[in-house]
Amino acid sequence: MHVSFLAYRRFEYLKYSLALIGLSVITYALHDPSVPPNGGTWLGYTLGTVGAALIFWLLWFGVRKRQYHSHLGQLTGWLSAHVYLGFALLVIATLHCGFQFDWNVHTLSYVLMVLVIISGMYGVFTYAYYPARLTQNRADMGIRPMTMLREVADLDRRCLKIADQMGDKVHQMILRSIERTKLGASLWRNVLGGVGTILGDLTDELKSDVGRSQLPLRPLATPIMQQGGEMTVMYVANQFASAGADQVKELLDLINAKKALVTRVQDDLRYHTLMSVWRYFHVALSIALLAALIAHVVSVFFYW
Amino acid sequence: MPPSSYKIAIIGSGPGGLSAAGRAADLGVSHVLLEAAPQLSNTVQRYQKGKFVMAEPEVLPLRSSLAFEAGTRERTLSVWEDTATRLRINVRYNAEVKALSGEHGNFALTLQDGDRIQAQNVVLAIGLQGNLRKLGVPGEDLSFVQYQLDDPEDYADETIVVVGAGDSAIENALALARQNTVIIVNRRDEFNRAKEGNLKAVRRAIDAGGIQCMYQSAPLRVESVEAPGSKPGVIVLKSPESEAAVACDRVIARLGAAPPRKFVESCGVAFPNKDPNAVPALSDRYESNVRGLYVIGALAGYPLIKQAMNQGYEVIEYIEGRAIEPADEPVLREKFRVMPQLPNVSVALAMITRNIPVLSGLTTLQLREFLLDSQVLAPKPGDIVFRYKDYSNTLFCILHGAVEVQRDSEDSVHKVPLRQGEFFGEMSLISGRRRNATVIAGKSCYLIETPRRSMNKLINSVAAVRRIIDETFLRRAIQTQIAPEVPLEALDDLVHTARIEQFDSGAVLFKEGDPGDCLHLIRKGSVTVSRDIGGRECVLSYVAAGNYVGEMALLTDSRRFATVRASIATETIRLDGTAFKALLGKSPKLRNKLEETARKLLANESAKVRGGGTGDMVSFFVNQGLGEATDVLLIDESLCVRCDNCEKACAETHQGTSRLDREAGPTFAFIHVPTSCRHCEHPHCMKDCPPDAIHRAPNGEVYIQDTCIGCGNCEENCPYDVIQMAVKEKPKPVNLLSWLLFGKGRRPGDEIVAETGKSAQKIATKCDMCKDLTGGPACVRACPTGAAIRVSPEQLMTMTRKTAN
Repeated sequence: MHVSFLAYRRFEYLKYSLALIGLSVITYALHDPSVPPNGGTWLGYTLGTVGAALIFWLLWFGVRKRQYHSHLGQLTGWLSAHVYLGFALLVIATLHCGFQFDWNVHTLSYVLMVLVIISGMYGVFTYAYYPARLTQNRADMGIRPMTMLREVADLDRRCLKIADQMGDKVHQMILRSIERTKLGASLWRNVLGGVGTILGDLTDELKSDVGRSQLPLRPLATPIMQQGGEMTVMYVANQFASAGADQVKELLDLINAKKALVTRVQDDLRYHTLMSVWRYFHVALSIALLAALIAHVVSVFFYW
Repeated sequence: MPPSSYKIAIIGSGPGGLSAAGRAADLGVSHVLLEAAPQLSNTVQRYQKGKFVMAEPEVLPLRSSLAFEAGTRERTLSVWEDTATRLRINVRYNAEVKALSGEHGNFALTLQDGDRIQAQNVVLAIGLQGNLRKLGVPGEDLSFVQYQLDDPEDYADETIVVVGAGDSAIENALALARQNTVIIVNRRDEFNRAKEGNLKAVRRAIDAGGIQCMYQSAPLRVESVEAPGSKPGVIVLKSPESEAAVACDRVIARLGAAPPRKFVESCGVAFPNKDPNAVPALSDRYESNVRGLYVIGALAGYPLIKQAMNQGYEVIEYIEGRAIEPADEPVLREKFRVMPQLPNVSVALAMITRNIPVLSGLTTLQLREFLLDSQVLAPKPGDIVFRYKDYSNTLFCILHGAVEVQRDSEDSVHKVPLRQGEFFGEMSLISGRRRNATVIAGKSCYLIETPRRSMNKLINSVAAVRRIIDETFLRRAIQTQIAPEVPLEALDDLVHTARIEQFDSGAVLFKEGDPGDCLHLIRKGSVTVSRDIGGRECVLSYVAAGNYVGEMALLTDSRRFATVRASIATETIRLDGTAFKALLGKSPKLRNKLEETARKLLANESAKVRGGGTGDMVSFFVNQGLGEATDVLLIDESLCVRCDNCEKACAETHQGTSRLDREAGPTFAFIHVPTSCRHCEHPHCMKDCPPDAIHRAPNGEVYIQDTCIGCGNCEENCPYDVIQMAVKEKPKPVNLLSWLLFGKGRRPGDEIVAETGKSAQKIATKCDMCKDLTGGPACVRACPTGAAIRVSPEQLMTMTRKTAN
């Protein structure tokens, strides 16, 4: 019932793309110019025109994607064509230049184009690989990242409450552990927008919560340098003798539950980011390519 | 002192009575308006503050000496009060009529204070609200006990005990709970008397702790407390286990009202039957069997304000001996314009009563009201009235001529004729499914087309209409769905055993291993078929309305093979097993056909039992309410890159508010059901829409018209949370290129967050499947990876099979 953009209309655009590649390769092989193959022969000009047209059309995807009223085909079809014809561009442009590379604006365009296509290919990979990962990672948990984050905050609160009863040191310990919990850094925030803001809100919420807690937040006489969750767990486990066994066990359970949840939240964020961050390169490089392409075309005609 | 004497005494100053008094005052006729309360229009006064008063039906012109248009309660009341003063209406407040006797020319009315009034004519316009029921326990009249609530905002930080389990009790409790501690007292252990929306809301509030509920509790007494610093009152409640005293600031009892029928009967007015909803038999001039005693408004069966006001005006005209035409006359005349051979409306009405048996039992007034919502059609011979698989759900009566019904869209030879007086379209009306046949107009054919809402109203209020429609439905359903090759007459024995049965969601029609004694034809809703596999009930398949279950055990004379459960509220036609077996004995062709289908089904199901998995998916879909869906958005999460382009597309094509929430909703085996409209067969949202703004388009889309008044009933009634209230605002168009190139203006697809001030009017918004856009739903069109699709339940079930294989 569901058909991936890669298999859209039984790989229709893959077929077009292969046909285009095949046609270009055969013509290139049969073509026997008096000079070594380059952009200046009739085939070179033809392939160049086709390639430039393709680049403009591929860039248009960014516009078409946002034309929500347009009924010119389904966006799935456009993406399918974008992917396969974008791949064909690699072959066409290479044949266009006849494998002639140098330190000039022409090769710069070529290199930028290759980078755009490679980033696109990586994008296709992320689109194929991460969606299922995301769902699996979220299985049996809150459906929304918000719910997951609330859960983390809730576990933190419960940890603190127990730690409160276990004395100063444990409390400080847990507090540090909570403060060390980093759910996404600034890159995430930038990339994720919405989710990043939620994270910020929650952190603030948690901080004010901590502020309300019973114990003064004075520094410990002997600062305990802890790195990572394992140490916290060990430290709490060592309280076994002094504090009640039940409390220690409950606290350890909570810490472990939280650790597991945090790992999943972090994976969730990571997958989301991986699926979107490549586009920042893909689009930026495309704009650079557009500029270089214009320079390339203008200079070719200028120095004719 | 001799009693005061008037030409006309009007009892009750609601819209009908007030309008009658207004007309009498306008004409200078001697009159008195008797009102039991100390103010005019007590029922409207009792509406919650700011309530929007509707002016339905829109097509009906208003005819009254008082003005009335849709608006707030306050506005309506102030206009009426001003006009009453201006017209010098002779009104007596606190004048409840205790007894009424006499006849035309000489009526005697006794008031509560013992005063007597004489009148030549009496207009009874007391409505149905009657007298409010009180607590009936000691202390019921204490100052902090009240029986109505004007503005819930007037109370803050109080402990308020609300007594009652009806809609007004719930609405009051919910509104008060915003700034008070509210305890609701319910005599029973459920709130099933309330509207579904209120029911859901109060349950939610109780679960969330916003309202405390004391079930199975009844008030014993109310006492006031004088001690300083304590609450002013105590209400003592009795529950099966114990008595509890609850200290409170206020007791609000909403226990309904005693119906006024007893009083009306004591005046000598006759009712046609014992049905508590029955209305008195009236002439078409609103006169009862007592000459000179007229009944108008809700008591006469007309609950709408505008109707009542028109009747008030007309009744005075009739008493004054003027034969004015009813207010709806021009509207009806316009409707019959397609039949120029009819000289006037009364001839047309007589023709309907004569020609169409299902409508012949209606009074003239009922028929006029019925026609107000209907259309008279004059299709040319060969015109298609509706097509097979159309999504319309109106009912057609043949006033003249004939139509032909073509069951099979391919087979244009076999057509069944339907003649004058018969009706068609009842299948879709009842089952909520698409049309199951194409209907073609014959020669000189005239049809009356009635919308679903008016038809349902009629079915629910006139028993004879319901009986005829149900019987016809039974006969036709049995023939078309079980035995099309058997002539109707041969089915008679079977039809006589037919019984309509209703099942709540989850109820069992029959259990695996039960003896097979009947066949169920599903006429509304849907069921799941499941079997016990390794101690677990595994769903094998899903059967929608229009199909039957239970034939297998009858064919093989064995016990039930599987358990069948209603997946949503379902109605079936139960056919007796013995009669069915007798029919099979008589018709070997039918037997062969059924056996063939059964064999295939059995093979298919045993494959499913071996394969496993599928059943879980069917259960998942059914639990998501997809059993009543006609079209549902499904996202394949293994393809979805969470770009939310679907939501953006929805917002951009629908006034800046997305009608779908991609992330919300459950997922099963990568199939995600986002929060988005399923376009139910019997849309819950349509149940209680005051302006009748929710409709189903011919292609099945359920949509909300611009006439939405923002009451929020549909939002409450939707079990799938897919309706939101959004500010009615058209966003500025997006200039895509200027945003793309220069970052100027709004980003396409961004939600419009308008200022939600009190004045901003909100209306209900929901998915309309982009019925007004070419190219289909924008969410699906805008999905870059092919993850979003919209499917019908039938396609869904094929999908479950594919997934399992």
